[in-house]
Amino acid sequence: MSWHVAEDELRAYARGDLAPPLLWSADTHLAGCARCRAVLAEAWDPGALRTSWERLDAELDAPRPGLFERLLTRLGVADHTARLLAATPVLRRSWLAAVSLLLVMSVLTAHGVHSDRLFLALAPLLPLAGVALSYGPALDPTYEIAVVSPVHGFRLLMIRTIAVLAAVLGLSGLATLALPGYGLGALGWLLPALALTATGLALTPRCGPVLAPSLVGGAWVALLLTAHAYQGGAGAPVPFTAVGQAVAAGVAALAAGLLFAVRDRFDQSPGGSV
Amino acid sequence: MTVTVSACGLTLRYGAARALDDVSVRLGRGVTGLLGPNGAGKTTLLRVLATAVPADTGAFTVLGHDPGTARGRQEVRRALGYLPQTPGFHPDFTPFEFVDYVAILKELTDRAARHREVRRVLEQVGLGEVRGKRIKKLSGGMRQRVALAAALVGDPGFLVLDEPTVGLDPEQRLRFRELIADAGEDRTVLLSTHQTEDVAMLCHRVLVMAAGRIRFDGTPAELAARADGRVWSSTARDPGAKAGWRTGTGAFRNVGDPPEGADLLEPTLEDGYLLTLDDDLAEVTA
Repeated sequence: MSWHVAEDELRAYARGDLAPPLLWSADTHLAGCARCRAVLAEAWDPGALRTSWERLDAELDAPRPGLFERLLTRLGVADHTARLLAATPVLRRSWLAAVSLLLVMSVLTAHGVHSDRLFLALAPLLPLAGVALSYGPALDPTYEIAVVSPVHGFRLLMIRTIAVLAAVLGLSGLATLALPGYGLGALGWLLPALALTATGLALTPRCGPVLAPSLVGGAWVALLLTAHAYQGGAGAPVPFTAVGQAVAAGVAALAAGLLFAVRDRFDQSPGGSV
Repeated sequence: MTVTVSACGLTLRYGAARALDDVSVRLGRGVTGLLGPNGAGKTTLLRVLATAVPADTGAFTVLGHDPGTARGRQEVRRALGYLPQTPGFHPDFTPFEFVDYVAILKELTDRAARHREVRRVLEQVGLGEVRGKRIKKLSGGMRQRVALAAALVGDPGFLVLDEPTVGLDPEQRLRFRELIADAGEDRTVLLSTHQTEDVAMLCHRVLVMAAGRIRFDGTPAELAARADGRVWSSTARDPGAKAGWRTGTGAFRNVGDPPEGADLLEPTLEDGYLLTLDDDLAEVTA
């Protein structure tokens, strides 16, 4: 062993106060280090020691969290929040791979046709779809169990939304770096992305988790087609001009306020009279 | 009976259809069975009592908490264990990870205490040995037990089980009966099922639902007694019987209004259930 658990950490470990990820490191280390076990055995009373051994036994018996959960915990996310995030359907590798593929294709297209329009049109739709797919009776296999849990539905929704936004906006941001020739204009997707996502969520209690994002996504495509028809391909499409960006910011703020106002509607399944 | 769950006048409509029509029930500790044909409103009643959907009208309390308020709803959910009709899983999770996830949703945030509780319920349902295996690799019976473990985690006082034995083979059903009987020792358990044997074997009380209403509320013996003098044996199917079938002995078992001098048989809970539904249908069409 090239290192040993520090004495104050062993003391915290014996008291049961050591938190992950240090706790996991100590557990793993103690399982293979006779010296640290001896230090632990000499320093503290048998009762506390027995409790620690029982916990160590239980920890070694528990399955190891997956890579994604371990990464989140290393970043300072509480282990229980990391487990909630790991259950977000669209944070699976297959979905993230599909998003990456779409972005790569749109970037390649931008280079091929010397226009970033397809990329700008597509990027705002990805977080909208991602958030829609991560919460709802039709798409989350454990929705029925989650909705009757004491954790407020809105809190769970926000945890997952933030996770999806971080993942998708991060990937889209990386894709933007592959379009240096378009300058800051290539970041024009960001505010529409936030506006579409917030609007989709705000409309969900009224329209449902499938119809709401579909309507919002459809409205976005219709807006772009209308702008193209009027502008005839001259200049940046309206949503990506300064005025368009200001409108997107306003819509995002308004929808966020509306979403907060209807937050209790996420606490039960849509049901009852229709 | 100490009342733990009390509902009064629950009504819920889906469009023009009344899924629940002025339902009032009072439950105490032990296992209460809920029988009824498909579309009777059983799952809707369970979902309302589990706070998954709100009723249009009516009110109920669970262990003294009123889910009509946000705080009361949270308290009900803290006391609730729910096994839905088609429990969904994250297929890449192991039973341990899945039950751990549900335990977190039930606000068990202390990692060590939560893991102890997860281990306890997995041992209780007999899944200790496979807790590290992917759920997608488990049999249907084992998956049902994972769902039951998730319902039991946190030691809830009110357990709502929606057809937990559907699709299980006889051995698995017996195992499930043991688990549900154990769970009902010190809890209120509401068990929706199509299996009249499950009710006969497990429940101290039974409710029968049809067309969104409670049509019977009593003990299994009282339900069976509804068929007293209305089950008889014959050598051919009696055309006047409401239901009749050839048994293993070759004789026909008939249920309905027997002819004079019929060879009467001891009724079962299933006979009482069939006649309750049939009488109910006659009442509706009359």
